[in-house]
Amino acid sequence: MSFLGRGPAAPSSAGSLSSERVEAAIQEVELITDVFNRIVSSCHSKCINQRYLDGELSKGESVCIDRCVAKFFDANKKMGEKLQAMGASAGGAGGLTSL
Amino acid sequence: MDFSQMNAAEQAQMSRILEKKQMQDFLKMYSNLVERCFTTCCNDFTSKALSSKEEQCLSHCADKFLKHSERVGARFAELNAEQMGVTDK
Repeated sequence: MSFLGRGPAAPSSAGSLSSERVEAAIQEVELITDVFNRIVSSCHSKCINQRYLDGELSKGESVCIDRCVAKFFDANKKMGEKLQAMGASAGGAGGLTSL
Repeated sequence: MDFSQMNAAEQAQMSRILEKKQMQDFLKMYSNLVERCFTTCCNDFTSKALSSKEEQCLSHCADKFLKHSERVGARFAELNAEQMGVTDK
């Protein structure tokens, strides 16, 4: 997966139950659903008119949702890069062990 | 998601876990939806019954929420695929 710059889980050969592969896949699913639920919640608050005059998304709301999701993705990416940069510089300075 | 590199036992375990998670997510979404729509639609407590106005508001709220999350899902899938395509190269 790509969030926070993590690469896809490396294939392992362990065959036991609850193997690393399963653990990694579950973690990936949890991360994705968590981000998804955050986006649904955040963009709903930001884009949906609270007067509920009808049950259809208006044109403005639809456009808002599209932009909101794209922006959330960008923000997510930016924060990941930022944290990585902070981790790298802190590790390089020898102050903290790398994140 | 790609589970093809897993063996049969792992795939079975994975789908059991996913099924459970789907149920949990559905229940969470349900209570979330009730709370969200109740908070915006029901503000008058001079009667204990839902007024027709409140009922209509709740119905619109639920319809709209589902359409909203459908649309978010579609955009999410597109952007996610795009991002994975970039990093997997």
